[in-house]
Amino acid sequence: MRKKLLLLQAFFKKQVIYFRRYLLNTLGGMLTLYCIFLLILGGYRGLSGPTGLTGDTVEALVVGYVMWFFLYTTYQDVAQQIRSEALTGTLEQLYMSVHGFGWVIGAHVLAAFIANLFMAAVLLAAAMRTAGTVLHINLPALLPVFVGTLLGPVGLGLIIAGLTLIFQRIDSYTQIVQFLLIGLVAMPAEKVAWMRLLPGSFGAGLVREMMVRGRGLAEIGLSRLLLLFAIGAVHLLLGYGVYKLCEKRAMSRGLLGHY
Amino acid sequence: MVRVECLEKMYPGRRGAPPVKAVDGISFQVSRGQLVGLLGPNGAGKTTTVKVLCGLIRPDAGQIVINGKDMVRRRLDALEDVSAVLEGNRNIYWRLTCRENLEFFAALKGRDPRAVRREIDYYLELFRLQDKAHTEARKLSRGMQQKLATAVALLAGSQVVLLDEPTLGLDVQSSLEIRQLLKGLVHEQRRTVILTSHDMHVVQDTCERVIIMNQGRIVADDSVRNLLDLFRVKVYHIVVEGPLSPKQRDALAVLPQVQIGEEALKQTVLTVRLDDSQVLYEVFGVLGEEQAVIRSIDQEQNSFEQIFLEILARGSDSA
Repeated sequence: MRKKLLLLQAFFKKQVIYFRRYLLNTLGGMLTLYCIFLLILGGYRGLSGPTGLTGDTVEALVVGYVMWFFLYTTYQDVAQQIRSEALTGTLEQLYMSVHGFGWVIGAHVLAAFIANLFMAAVLLAAAMRTAGTVLHINLPALLPVFVGTLLGPVGLGLIIAGLTLIFQRIDSYTQIVQFLLIGLVAMPAEKVAWMRLLPGSFGAGLVREMMVRGRGLAEIGLSRLLLLFAIGAVHLLLGYGVYKLCEKRAMSRGLLGHY
Repeated sequence: MVRVECLEKMYPGRRGAPPVKAVDGISFQVSRGQLVGLLGPNGAGKTTTVKVLCGLIRPDAGQIVINGKDMVRRRLDALEDVSAVLEGNRNIYWRLTCRENLEFFAALKGRDPRAVRREIDYYLELFRLQDKAHTEARKLSRGMQQKLATAVALLAGSQVVLLDEPTLGLDVQSSLEIRQLLKGLVHEQRRTVILTSHDMHVVQDTCERVIIMNQGRIVADDSVRNLLDLFRVKVYHIVVEGPLSPKQRDALAVLPQVQIGEEALKQTVLTVRLDDSQVLYEVFGVLGEEQAVIRSIDQEQNSFEQIFLEILARGSDSA
């Protein structure tokens, strides 16, 4: 177990190094994301007429935006990372790790999640200030819901990463997913039962409840939390299964890292 | 240390093309502390063999055993004893410094970066990278990047190190340094190193044994010295002072193993193919009759590159 912690530590250290060494790039990325939020907010305000958006709607917009950021970065951290490692020629080194690739990508996702939490906090603060709204932020209560919600995008990322290993140039399809994620976050999963089965939708709804209406874990209830993790686990396992199939095919055809 | 038995790998053909047999039932063993060169033309199956050895390509048939661990059945265990630097890959993170790369990949191989700090210093010094310890890999020269990738592979602590074209694209100085380092490491640390190269000079200078592959098969597996002996050309060049007399010319012309060169720079060169030793006595007899002055006798040497090409040609003829 100690070795796995060292692995996580190594990936986290790499994240921090990149973050600090390329601070300007990081800040530029955050600024872009903030500008996207401004556009969304402006667009919604324009569409809602002279009265503008008020109350729950604007708060839901802020939460939805932050959730989209989380879902998108998590998905990217899996799909894009594997593609980028394959392109630069370090994927094969990761595959030669004694930990096994499952642990390696797990450590990477976890390290990226911790780094994303920091970025999300900054973006959330900026979005709340711009929208003139205050949300309920109980991090210890939100954290398990975040984790359960992000299992879906990890699974989705693994599917795309697996397909990338085999087909290599599928950039345009991977770009579509970021727009798909907006739809998944916006879906009213709390009202329409089948929508809960989609990756990220159910969790995004729960986070809205917690952050907009100030509900705690007790009010969310154990059964809904378990359902969130069960759905997330299915997505994750499905993604992992597809990835392993693709990986097997890539290793059999000698495609691993042959870009 | 490394045992490969009846290894086979076939790739499916692309767009209706027939399948390609990259490795066709090869077997070999490499002992601890050996530095072996894996040679062959493009498409011979060298890289596939190396990638199978480090668990990156699944073989169709055969067995790969690294330090007693089966690479297919106990892949993660076997990977403890293998590290590799692969050709065409960066192998390292360009945005991390030399030290950060060494620390990161140590953790990836299950080693505590803090516990190997001294080893990191040792390799940085050994590869003359200590001044660049805090320089990002992308800012290093090609030779230094290659050295860093090799240091990363060695820091993993694995007994078997696979190096795919370790000197490709390097200048003469960097290539020489890498070769000297490899020889030193095999000698001092008794690591097993298998390297592939297109550069015959690198292999001749570095490896004690070579395995030559062609069309997925092993066509030669012997020590460099044995191959040089085996393919030693039995041709002698005899340099005689001045022109040959007509009598000498007539006498030598009847010997089919002797070629008489044109006279130049006041000397004549006779090329004698030594099919049997008797012919030399006959040549000396003819020259001695008129007391010709022999300036030198040299044996023609085959370069390792010529030997390699000859082995490949023989392999193609027999196929």
